[in-house]
Amino acid sequence: MSSWFCPEVLLVLSGVGLILADSFIPEGKKGWIPGAALLFSFVILVFTLGQSGQPMPSSWQNLFLTDGLSSVFKPFFVLCLLGVTVISVRTPMGNEERVRAEWIALPFFPTAGLCLLVSAHDFLAIFVALELVAISLYLLAAFHRTRAASLEAGMKLLVMGGLSTGFLVMGIAWLYAAAGSTEFSKILVEQAGRPATLPLLFAIGLILTGLAFKVAAVPFHAWAPDVYEGAPTSTTAFLAVASKAAGFVLLVRIFGFGAFALDSVAVFYRPVLLTLGIATVTLGTLAALPQRNLKRYLAYSGIAHAGYMLLALGTLGEAGMGTVVGYLWAYLLSTFPVLIFIQEMERIHGSADIRHLEGLGQKDRGVALGLTLCFLSMAGLPPLLGFSAKLSVFATLWSAGEMPGLVVGVVMAVVGLGFYLVPVRAMYWEREADAVPAQRFPSFLVWILLFAGLAQLVLGLQPRPLVRLVERSLAPATTAVSSEN
Amino acid sequence: MTLAWTLLALLVLPLIGVAAICLGAAPRKTALGVSLCNLIPGFLAFGVVLREGELLFGAEASMIREVFPVQFRLGMDGLSMALVGLTLVVTLAAMGVAPAEVKRAKEYYICLLLVGLGGLGAFLSLDLFYFFSFHEVALIPSFLLIGIWGQGDRTGAAWRMTLYLMLGSLVLLVGLIGLVWAAPETARSLDWRMLGETLRANPIPGPQQTWLAALLLVGFGTLVSLVPFHSWAPGGYASAPAPAAMLHAGVLKKFGLYGLLRLALPLTPIGWKELSWLVGILLAGNILYLGFVSLAQRDFRWLLGFSSAMHMGTIFLGLIGGTVLGLGGALLLMVGHGLSAALGFAVAGEIGHRTGTTWMQDLGGLAKRAPKLWFYLMIAGMASIGLPGLANFSGEILIFFGAWSAHPVLVGIAAWGVVLSSVAMLRAIRSISTGPVPSHLAAKEITDLRGAKEVWPMALLTFFLLAIGLVPNLILGPARPVLERILQP
Repeated sequence: MSSWFCPEVLLVLSGVGLILADSFIPEGKKGWIPGAALLFSFVILVFTLGQSGQPMPSSWQNLFLTDGLSSVFKPFFVLCLLGVTVISVRTPMGNEERVRAEWIALPFFPTAGLCLLVSAHDFLAIFVALELVAISLYLLAAFHRTRAASLEAGMKLLVMGGLSTGFLVMGIAWLYAAAGSTEFSKILVEQAGRPATLPLLFAIGLILTGLAFKVAAVPFHAWAPDVYEGAPTSTTAFLAVASKAAGFVLLVRIFGFGAFALDSVAVFYRPVLLTLGIATVTLGTLAALPQRNLKRYLAYSGIAHAGYMLLALGTLGEAGMGTVVGYLWAYLLSTFPVLIFIQEMERIHGSADIRHLEGLGQKDRGVALGLTLCFLSMAGLPPLLGFSAKLSVFATLWSAGEMPGLVVGVVMAVVGLGFYLVPVRAMYWEREADAVPAQRFPSFLVWILLFAGLAQLVLGLQPRPLVRLVERSLAPATTAVSSEN
Repeated sequence: MTLAWTLLALLVLPLIGVAAICLGAAPRKTALGVSLCNLIPGFLAFGVVLREGELLFGAEASMIREVFPVQFRLGMDGLSMALVGLTLVVTLAAMGVAPAEVKRAKEYYICLLLVGLGGLGAFLSLDLFYFFSFHEVALIPSFLLIGIWGQGDRTGAAWRMTLYLMLGSLVLLVGLIGLVWAAPETARSLDWRMLGETLRANPIPGPQQTWLAALLLVGFGTLVSLVPFHSWAPGGYASAPAPAAMLHAGVLKKFGLYGLLRLALPLTPIGWKELSWLVGILLAGNILYLGFVSLAQRDFRWLLGFSSAMHMGTIFLGLIGGTVLGLGGALLLMVGHGLSAALGFAVAGEIGHRTGTTWMQDLGGLAKRAPKLWFYLMIAGMASIGLPGLANFSGEILIFFGAWSAHPVLVGIAAWGVVLSSVAMLRAIRSISTGPVPSHLAAKEITDLRGAKEVWPMALLTFFLLAIGLVPNLILGPARPVLERILQP
C-alpha cells in the first residue's frame, strides 16, 4: 500500500489541492497559496530523495518500473519544480491576477508526467506521460494571455509539440507492427540476435525524430529560441531543463538499456546519433554567438549542450550513457540559477537583454560572481563542474574512437568559450562604475547564485557525489514484486 | 617531521590572499604580503628536495578503478623546483611592480594572484586533471586583466589570447586523454609519475605515439607560442598591464615547455623523435620569422612580445637535441627567459607609465634622465640577447652544444637568431636611451625609479639572472637526475 505514496501521486494531489483551495477560499485570503506551493514542492523533493528507489505500485508494473535511472531523475525533476515554483512566485501578474493559483499549481502536473516518463517501460506509457507534460506546457507557455509574445510562444510550442507527438505515435504504431509489442523488455528479447528489419528501423527513426524535437536537436530545434524568448520565464526554465532532460533520459533508456539496445540497431543508428550530435553542437554554438537576449542565448546554449550529450549518447556504450546522466545534472546546476536570475532581471529591467548585465560586476559583486561561475561552468572551464562533464564526453568519444565527433566537439568548445564570455565581459569590463544605474537584486537571489557557483567549484574539484549518482543510475530495475515479498 | 604540507601551503596562501581581499583587506599590501610569505614554504620545500631529491604530498597514487579517479596529489622534484622558484620570484616582482593606485584594485589584485596560483599549481600537480585545471585557472583572470586594465587594442588582444589558449588547451586535453587511454586498462592512472612507469613498461606502439606526440606538440606548442600558433602572444603581452605580462610571459608560458619535458619527451619518445623534423622547421620559423618580424617593431612592448616568442624556438631546439646537455640548457633558458622577460616587461611598464608611450621613436635620452631605469633596461636587453654572465647565456650555450651533434644546421640558424635578436634589442635600447630628448617629452618631468620601493622588484629579478648565470648549477644540479631519467629508454 505504501507504494502509492510515490512522487507522481503526491505531485498530482498537491496540484489539484492548490487549485481546489483557490476555488473554495474567499478572495483576499489567498495570500498563502504561493507559500504553500513552495512548501509542497520542497516537501516532495525531500520525500523523493528519501524514497528514491522505492518500487512503483504493483498494479502499474507492466507499464512503469523503478530502476536506477528513474530513481536518479525523479529528484532531478522535483528539484526543477522547486526552481520553477520560485520563479513562478516571483512572476508579476497583470490581468491574470485572478488565476494566480493555476499559474502556480500547473507546473506540478508536467512534473508528475516527467516522473512517470522516466519510469515508463512501455511506449504506450511513454506516450500518455508525454501528453500530460506537453498539454500542461502549452497552457503555461501561453499563460500571459495579454502578451503577444507569450501567445506566439504557446502557439509555436503547440504546433511543434503536436508535430513531434505525431512522429512519436506513428513510430510507436510502426514499432508495434514490426515487433509485435510496445513493451521494452519484450522487444528486446524478441529482437535479440536477429537482423533488424526495415520497418523496425523506420519505427526507431520516427521515435527518434519525436524525441529530437523534445531535446531541441538540430534540425528539429527551430522552435526553441522563439518559445524560450516569448514564454514566461518559469515555462522557459521548465522547457530548457526539465523537458530536455526527460528527452535525454528516454533516449538513454531506449538506446542504452531498453527496447533498442540491440547490436543490429546500433550499427545503423550510431552514425545517425553522432551526426545529429555534430550538427547540433555546431549549429547551437555558432548561432549562440550573435545573441543579445539572454533567453535566446540560453536556448542556443541548451542546443549546444544537447549536441554534446548526443555525441556521448551516440557512442551507445555504458560510458556514454553515464556521461549523459552526469552531464544533465551539471547542466541543471549551471543553467537553472541563471534562469532564476533572468526572472529577477526581467522584473527590474523589463527584458532579458544582455546589455542590462553591464556594470553588474561592480554594483552587485555576489550576483556577478555566481553568474560568472555558472557561465564558465557551461563553457567547460576547469576546475568547474562543466569541465568534468565535457571531459567525460571527450574521453567517451576518444575511447569509442569517434574522431570526427571529438574534433567538432573540441573546436566548438573553443567557440563556445567565445560566447560564454560575452556576459562575463559585459558584467566586468563593459562600463565603469559611475555609468551604471543602481540595481539591487533580492538577497535570496544572491544566495542562490553564490551557492550555485560554489557547487560548480566544489563538485568540479570533487565530483565523487555525481559519480555515485551516475553509478546508481546504471543499476538494474527493482521490481515491485520482489520488494513486497 | 615531514614537510609535505609546504607544497599545499604554496597553493593555499594565494587563496587566503584572494579571500582576504574579497573580505576587504588592502589589496596591494595583501597581495604583496602573500607573495612574500609564500617564499617561506617555498624555501622549506626546496630544502627537502635538495636533500632528498623529491617531496610528495597526498595519498598514494592508485590505478583507475572508478569512473572519475581524480586525486589531489602534489609533488616537487629538481625540475619542478626550478619552475616553482621562478614562479615565486616573478610573482613577487610582479606584485612589487603593480601600481598602488589602480582602478578597481580589488579585482586587479585578485586576478594577479589567481594567475600566479595557476602557474604554481600546474608545476606542483601530479594528477593530470589538476595539472591541466590549474593552468586553465589563469585563463579568465588574464582575459579580465587585459580587457579591463590593458592598453592599445585590449579587446582584440584579450579575445585572441583567450580563445587561442583555449584551443591549445583543448587539443592538449585530447592528447592527455589519449595518453591515459594508451596505457593498458588495468594499469591506467591519472598520476603522471605512475602513468610514466606504466608506459615505460608497456610502450605505446610507434604510429600511435606519433599521433599522441603531435597532439601534445600542437597543444603545448600553442601555449608556448610555437610558430604558427604564436599570433596571440605578442599582441597579448603588448596590451596586458605590466604585471600581467610579467606573469604570463615569465611563468605561464613555461607551462607548455614543462609539459613537453614531463609528458611528451619521456612518454612518447619514438613519436617525439619521428616529429623532430617538424619541430625543427617550426622552431626555425620561431627564430627566423619572428626574429625578422621583431626587427620591424616600432613599439617596445611589441618588440618584447615578439622577442619573447622568438626565444621559445631556441628552447625547442634544446628539447629535440636528445641530450641531457640540451635539456639542461632548455631548462636554464626557461628560467632565464622567465626572469629576463619579466624584467623587460616591468621596465617597459615603467617607461610607459612615466612617458605615456612605448613607441621607440617618441623616446630618447632615457639614460641621462632616468639612469636607474636605464640600467635595468640594459640588464633586460643584455640578458635577452645572451650576454655571458646572465642566465640566458648559459642556457643558450648549453642548448647549442647539446643539439650540435643531432641538428647542426638548426644550431647555425639559432646562432643567427642571436644576431637578429641583438640587432633588434640594441636598436631599441639605442633609440630609447640615447640621443636627444624628443620635444614632447622635454617639458615633461621624467622621474627615475625612486628609492628602494620602486627598485627592489627589478633588483630581485636582476639578482637571480646574475646568480643563475654565474652558477648555473643552482638549477642544473638538482634537475640533472630528473633530466637524465627523461632520456632513459
